[in-house]
Amino acid sequence: MSDLQPVKTAYASVDRRRFLKVTGAGVAGASLLTMLETRQAPAQIKGTTLRILTWSHFIPAYDVWFDKFAAQWGEKNGVKVRVDHIPHLEIPARMAAEFAAGTGHDLILNNATILARLYYKSLVDMTDIYDQLGKKYGGWIPAAKSPIEVEGRIYGIPMYYILLPMLWRKDLFEANGLKPPDTWELARVAARTLKAKGNPAGMAFSHCNDANLNWRSVMFSFGAAETDPSGDNVMIDSKEMREALQFAKAMYDEGMTAEVFSWDDASDNRFLASGIAGWIHDAISAYRTTESTNPAVFKNTFIANEPAGPGGKRVSVSAPIVFLGWKFSKNQQAAKEFLVHLVDNDKEGMIQSTGYNMPFLNDNAKKPMPIIGADPKMQVLQDFPKIVAFFGYPGPYTPQIQEVANLFVLPDIFTKVARGTSVDESLKWGVGEYRRIFSKYKRA
Amino acid sequence: MTAGPAGDGAESATRAAAPPVARRSSLPAWWRSNTSRRLAFGYLLLAPAALYVALLVGIPFLFSLYLAVSDANVGEPVATFVGLENFRAAWEMETFWIALRNSVVFLVVAAVFKSLLGTSLAFLLLQNFKGKKLVRGLVVIPFTLPISVSVLSWKWMYDSQFSVINWGLHKAGLIGGYGSESWPIWLGQPHLALLACIGVNVWRSFPFSAIVLLAGFTSVPTEVLDAARVDGCTFFQRFRHVVTPMIFPILIIGFLFDTVFTLSDLSVVYLLTQGGPGNATQILPVLAYQIGIQAGSLGRGAAIALMLVPLLFPALFLMLRNLKRRDW
Repeated sequence: MSDLQPVKTAYASVDRRRFLKVTGAGVAGASLLTMLETRQAPAQIKGTTLRILTWSHFIPAYDVWFDKFAAQWGEKNGVKVRVDHIPHLEIPARMAAEFAAGTGHDLILNNATILARLYYKSLVDMTDIYDQLGKKYGGWIPAAKSPIEVEGRIYGIPMYYILLPMLWRKDLFEANGLKPPDTWELARVAARTLKAKGNPAGMAFSHCNDANLNWRSVMFSFGAAETDPSGDNVMIDSKEMREALQFAKAMYDEGMTAEVFSWDDASDNRFLASGIAGWIHDAISAYRTTESTNPAVFKNTFIANEPAGPGGKRVSVSAPIVFLGWKFSKNQQAAKEFLVHLVDNDKEGMIQSTGYNMPFLNDNAKKPMPIIGADPKMQVLQDFPKIVAFFGYPGPYTPQIQEVANLFVLPDIFTKVARGTSVDESLKWGVGEYRRIFSKYKRA
Repeated sequence: MTAGPAGDGAESATRAAAPPVARRSSLPAWWRSNTSRRLAFGYLLLAPAALYVALLVGIPFLFSLYLAVSDANVGEPVATFVGLENFRAAWEMETFWIALRNSVVFLVVAAVFKSLLGTSLAFLLLQNFKGKKLVRGLVVIPFTLPISVSVLSWKWMYDSQFSVINWGLHKAGLIGGYGSESWPIWLGQPHLALLACIGVNVWRSFPFSAIVLLAGFTSVPTEVLDAARVDGCTFFQRFRHVVTPMIFPILIIGFLFDTVFTLSDLSVVYLLTQGGPGNATQILPVLAYQIGIQAGSLGRGAAIALMLVPLLFPALFLMLRNLKRRDW
């Protein structure tokens, strides 16, 4: 009898708090899986409010559809949905304010400036729905994880990305015996030929997002890299980068005018719509704008595949759009469920955006894709998912790369070269800026 | 019976006289003089303004000092002390020195133009003419328009292709057509871009300078000006020796406001060029915003923003000391 002692079991270490945590997570996980299987919202979200912060889409009709779509989902599931639209450039400041206040929207959209890696400790882990959606729709395209994966976990759901293809004037090319701009060299020849005829080409060298995207497409297609696959080391000081810079200088001198130094993200749209441009490298909003503002030019504007570099490599650097959710949100379950519903209706979103939104999920990227698969001039866009990359390629989209992009370091290297500074000197300056930024993060 | 009331009357008179003496003796010594009480009342009246400044200026300033010596970033709730590391990081950036230089150039050039235009406009508005009140109302429109609206209008006017300024110059035969060498690319050529940004700042702010000066001019007694005129003073002599000394405090306050507004103006450059092309228009507030908010490094952003203080402080100190010496 004296041997009788309290037996320590595994149960003894489970206190009330731990029990609630484990069972709570289990219930939430189970209801999410059930929800994904049955497409039915769990009852817990009824009577809650979901606040969504998103950008003002370049295709206004998409915003109209999105607001209606969100409201209908809310009505169906007993959730009051509020959608706020702000210009995408204001989103980082709004996120900083909400984070500081510890309150705000349940879902926040990031456009091009993806802040998942910066805020990941305060963001909802979305690995569960990311994996489920991936399984359901044939997997995500390779670039999808880059902006949202931290230490093996996923902190956002990629919604779509914005491509910047080559938009070229077929009538002008044919009239001058030029081949379509399938390579950067052919694009340069065309720019040189057409500039002499009063139709220069245009790619922004200024402080704007297009410049950040376009010149990365050029350098990556030339075989240069921004960081190594770990994302920790700067790789721009390379032979390929020097070739890309020399090429850019030649293309500017021969085929562009100084106005490219002053452009914002919409200037090239106007340049194309005015009928002056021989070609531009821009989002299809330029193509769509021209459709309404200058039908004659639109008729002759064609979309090309991403031009190949000297080694035949094609890399299209695009602007990713992802939804993130705050950990302090009181309605995480509704937020996740709404995202699942939104991705389930991805194709409808593509239709409403008139082909502007490109899908991250392989099944949705299968040919024929909505809108662009039916338009002979746009069909080539269906080949882009294989070659899409984001900032930092081939490394991930890290906070240090985000700072490099915010300070327009890469376009400034190209600008220096175009304005006459030697390639070596410009690159030396750029490498110095990159390393200074990277070293601050290493020290931190 | 008569004694009673008489006695009551004396008592009540004593009671009536006694309490003030008792109250006065119980008050602290510093409160007994009228001067002290007036001073305390004055401070009481000032208290709301002081509290307002402390809450809206003092606390954010102290918070930015804290951020500047920490590794705070937008995603990390807990920051650690890093000393002057953020300042060192800023000094190592070539872009920081470009931004500092541009900020000083921006401030000085804008101040010169605002002084010239503001003074001229103030003199014009002093004259009597039909519709004077309407004109006085209209000239402040640039200052009262939302900055995003006015700057976007300027962006169109500076457009590389559709600039109405270029169109006007071309029609006047001063420059060639679009695509020619003489066609200015306002926001694309480094020096022109900085001038274009300064131009918008001047356009927005010089009505404010004019209004401040106008307030000063109208406060100068006409008798004094008439006396100077009778003594044979020319217009410039009256302006230099009579008007300027009399409105000096107003000039200094206006100048202080303008210096602070110009140095901390983020919107014009951010909306027009985002600091481009190639950092040609980069200024400290924009750089601080790009690093602190957009890239999320609050500590380094705060350190860059605080670099404005050494620029502002000596100027403020000298001006305020000068003002005090004059004992207005």
